[in-house]
Formats: sequence, C-alpha cells, structure tokens
Amino acid sequence: MASPLHLKPAKAPNAMIEAAQEKTEGTAGQGAINTRHERARDFEEARKALLARPGFSVRAQIYLGFALVFLFTLITVIGLLMSIYEVDHKVRFLETVNQYLIEIEQARRFEKNYFLYGTNLKDGLDNVSSANRILDSNKDQILSITGQNVYDQMLSNLKEYEVLINRLLALGDTWDGSEANAKEALTDEVREQGQNMISLAAKLALKERQALTKTISRARRMHIYFLLALLAIMTVNSFILARRVLDRIEQYKTFAQRIASGDYTLITPKRSYRDEFTELALAVNQMVLDVEAREALLIQSHKLRAVGTLTAGVAHELNNPINNIMITGHMFLEDYESTDDEERIDMMNDVVNEANRAKAIIANLLDFARESGSQLAPLDMAEMLKDTIALASNRLKRSKINIDFSSTDKLPRVHGDSQQLRQVFLNLILNAIDASQSGGNITVTVLPADEPHYIAVKVIDYGTGIPKHILSSIFDPFFTTKPQGKGTGLGLSMSQGIITKHGGQIRVFSQEGHGTTFTVTLPVTTFPAKITDETHVSPLY
Amino acid sequence: MSNLDVLLLDDEPIVGKRLKPALAKVGCEVEVFQNPVEALKRIDEKDFDIVVTDISMAEVDGMQVLEHVVAKNNATKVIMITGFAMMSLAREAMEKGAFDFIAKPFKPDDLRAIIARAAEALGKPIAFEAGESA
Repeated sequence: MASPLHLKPAKAPNAMIEAAQEKTEGTAGQGAINTRHERARDFEEARKALLARPGFSVRAQIYLGFALVFLFTLITVIGLLMSIYEVDHKVRFLETVNQYLIEIEQARRFEKNYFLYGTNLKDGLDNVSSANRILDSNKDQILSITGQNVYDQMLSNLKEYEVLINRLLALGDTWDGSEANAKEALTDEVREQGQNMISLAAKLALKERQALTKTISRARRMHIYFLLALLAIMTVNSFILARRVLDRIEQYKTFAQRIASGDYTLITPKRSYRDEFTELALAVNQMVLDVEAREALLIQSHKLRAVGTLTAGVAHELNNPINNIMITGHMFLEDYESTDDEERIDMMNDVVNEANRAKAIIANLLDFARESGSQLAPLDMAEMLKDTIALASNRLKRSKINIDFSSTDKLPRVHGDSQQLRQVFLNLILNAIDASQSGGNITVTVLPADEPHYIAVKVIDYGTGIPKHILSSIFDPFFTTKPQGKGTGLGLSMSQGIITKHGGQIRVFSQEGHGTTFTVTLPVTTFPAKITDETHVSPLY
Repeated sequence: MSNLDVLLLDDEPIVGKRLKPALAKVGCEVEVFQNPVEALKRIDEKDFDIVVTDISMAEVDGMQVLEHVVAKNNATKVIMITGFAMMSLAREAMEKGAFDFIAKPFKPDDLRAIIARAAEALGKPIAFEAGESA
C-alpha cells in the first residue's frame, strides 16, 4: 500500500488564524474548546460576574430567620403582657366597684330597717362615708376606666344620698302632722337615690365584666394566632432555606457529573445574589481551569506516546524516499556520461519528488506531534482522515491490514482543533488495527449523521469485538485490556474528553466475534451569513 | 562471465527502475516486480540465482517470499531489503535461510557487493570489486 502522505498547503499567517478564530468563537457553542488565554479571560469574567452580585449568604438567611421569629415573639409577648395587665386592672376595678356596692347596699339595708322598724338610720351614714373613702382612695383607678363624668356623678350621688339621709335624720322620729308628708316625700327621694346609685355601679360592673371577658378571649385568640403564625414563619423559612441549600447541592452534583464527562464550561451566575456557594463556584471554576491545563498536558504526553508508537513506522516510511534518492543519485553520478538529457531530467525529477515525499512525511508527523494551544478552524474531515490514515499507514502495512476509506461528497466542515481530532481518529484506527487479525479490513467512513447539523465518522473493524461486560468501562481512564506497558488506558477516555469539548459524542457498538464500530459525531460549522462571505476564512484549509 | 538471473522485488518503483540497469552493468539479468503476488508467480515459473526482496510490503511480505523461495529452490540466494535495521528481523531472516540482509537507504554498490558475494557462493562470480566505482 503505497499511499503517499499528504502535504498540507502552507498555513496562513498566525494573525489571520487568530482573526478567523475570533470570528468563529461566538458560534463555537457550548463546551467548545478555547485557547488557554481565552479560558483565563473567561474565568476572570465568570469570577467578576459571580462576585458582582449583591451578597445574601445562607448564614444571613439563618440569622434573619431567627431574628424575625424573635421579633415576632417579642411583639406577641408584649401584647400578651399588656392583656394580662389590662385584665388585672379590670379585675381590681371590679373589686373596687364590688366593695362600693357592698357599702351602698349596707347603707340601704339600714335605710330599709329604718323605714320598717325605725331603727338606727345613722349607722347607714358610716357606710356612705366608707363608700366615699373607697371612691376617693381608688380615684385614679376609677377615673382611668370610667372617666371624670361618671366618677363625678358617683361622688355627687353619694353626696346627695348623704344629704337626704341627714335631712331625714333632722326630721326626727315623728310621723305626724305636717311633717309626715314631707318625710314621706323625702323617704321616696332617699329610696330613689339609693336605687340610682346601685344601678349605676351595677351597670359599670357589668360593662367592665363584659370588657374583661372580651380581653381574656382576645388573649386566648392571640395565643393561638401566635402559634399558627410562628409555625407559618418557621415553615416558610425552613422550606426556603432547605430548598436553597439542597438545590445548590443538587446543582453542584450535576456540575461534577458534567465536568467528569469532559464538559469544562465554567460556572456563571444564575441567581441575582451571591452567597457561600459563590465561593464554591469560584473554587470549582479554578479547579476546572487546573484540570483542563492538566488534561492538556496529559493529551500531549499521550500524543507523544502515539508518536513513539508510530516512529518506527515513520522511520521506515522515510527510508523509502531516502533510499530512492540515494540510489538515483549514485546512478546519476555513475552513469552521467552515458545518459542522455532526458534520462538525467527524469532522474533529477525523481530526486526532487522523493525529497518532497520525505518532507511531507516529516511535516505530517510534526504537525501531529507539535505542542500548541487549541486552534479552532473549519476542518475538512475527509482530508483530515486521509492524513491520519497516512500516519498509520506503516502500522497498517506491517499488520497487513487493508483500510477502506469512503466519504460523502461535499460534507460541511467541522469546527474544531485538527490536532486533537486527528489524535482521536489515530487512536481509534490504532485500536482497530490492534483488534484486527493479520489480513483483516478496517473501514473508515465519514457521512452526515442521523441528527441534522452533525457529521459522523465511523471506524469499523471486523476483529474480535469487545466483550459485553467490559463495554461499559472502555471509556474509563486507565482501563486497558492491553498487556502491561502496551497501553496507557487513556486513549478512549481522552478521546471522549476531546469529542465532548467539541460538542460531539463518541459511541461504540460491538458484537463479540464480529467486530466493533466506533461512531464519532461532531457538530458542523455554522457560520453567521456575513462571515461566510468573507474570503479570508476559507484559505485556512 | 556468465549472466546471473536476478529477481528484484520492491513496491517502490524507483528501486527497480534504477537498480535494474545498475545490476545489468555487473552482469545480472534482472526482472523487476513491484507486486509480490506476481513475483511469487514468476518464481514458480523460473529458477532465479538471486532473489532480492523488500520485507515490508502489503499483501505478502518479504519473509513469506523468502520462505517460498527456500521451499522451492534451496540453491537460490535471497537478499532481504528492509527499512528498519532491526536485529531481530535480521536474525529471523538469516534463520529462515536468507543469504544476507541490506538496510535502506543503501548505495547501489552496497547491493552489488552483496550480489557479488552471492555469485561467488553460487560459483558464478561476477566482475565486481567492492569500492570499485563511485
């Protein structure tokens, strides 16, 4: 199989590549790979955005929740204390009114006895003055409940009653003559006045008793409402707090899974405030950046390992053109005299062509091995796969494996890093070679994928296949079935990382005894219309 | 000076194109092949004095050609050409009965010298002294 290695056209100046990259950056889509410098800038932007939000920490929410509950409790307790004070005040007033009533009733008992039996009315005056003392000593208390008017009325009632009794006493015990009529009238007046006093005090007592009942029932309701409101406040606060914390934990679980699958999108602010999780987001972003840098190193070292595997083959591949040049050169010198011009020109053309062939082989290898930042460009997958197959051509030849390459015409380009993608496909092809038997076949084909805007590359071998029980672990890092020292077990894991970062997927289908198919799907380049028109994008490749 | 029948097999066309006249000059009748299957067919038809074959080729490799030749005619001297100068491969070729081993890249005279030794061994010496020409 003498497929000549492919020489790429000279690349545009770096500035131009970067310019094109800037243009296409916006369309790279989620999880696309950027250069290290751009990543550092993204990280800085994410950090600023994360920190720019007003802070509302979980700690603050906990404190605020407790403060709210305390404040609410304080208000309720003050309210209850005031109710108790009010009840106490009313009870005291009722007692006072009661004592007042007792004194008045006692006075009226003397008054009644006097009318019935003519006994000592004078003793009633003691009760009246006692009632007067009660009113006087509890003036403030009574005033605070009844007001000045009622108090004054009670006092004047008492005074009038006293005056009436004194007038009655002045009339003496006589019940005859002209005095009898006046005494009769006075008796009625005394009775009426006594009755008034009693009814006023009883009315007051009744009113206050009703108010007291109201206050007590209000206090009771206050207790129940307080409990209900406290329950509501605490439930809402705990719910919000729990959801806030648990949601974040869930979110970070997703982040971890996403990062593990190779998607290194940085965390950007989703909520309008920052809190303790912001610190975590910053730490995770820093970790992503570090992991990415380490992975780049790992990819490079793995690539160099692949280069090492290929070197013997490449050296052999290189020996062919050099040998051709050496033989032709020697024969040119030896037969210079005897050869005609046409023959000499033919020989020198051979020398030049073979030198170019050697140059292409080296360029292809170096192109693959060189260490550089990611360079995103629209890639012609068919061309890239041909180059990659050329890299492995010697391994194929030595293992006597035939490789069929087919491609659908006019496939759209893929936006990606040619080096990294070549590494993925080289890895898949080398794996396919290892899986195939001498004289076997490998099929590499590129075609539009089932999903729109994706293209699929299939690397098919007809070898032993992958046993079902290990099929799920083949993408795990350090998983290998090759003998110790032969494989790092990183090839597929790294390939998956690279493809994920390109926004694609890598899938495997294997049947034991029938072979294995690896399918890589990659999103096609979608340029905004204005960029497609610009001419400096296309000369890149 | 008797002519030596030589079969030269290498999938690089320039090797045959340039070495055929080079070997003819030292008295070899050279048949050039690029396809090992055709070469094997020719070997079945004709006894060659010397077979020069590349090792690394698609379909059939030099080792198989060597085995085929040895099985057919033990007298034929087989000279192996290879891109990698690996001792294990050289040892394997020698064990299987190769006459000698030459690593790419080589000068036409290097091959001529080996062919001269093989001719000597065959009892059909050719007019070539190592280092005789450029």
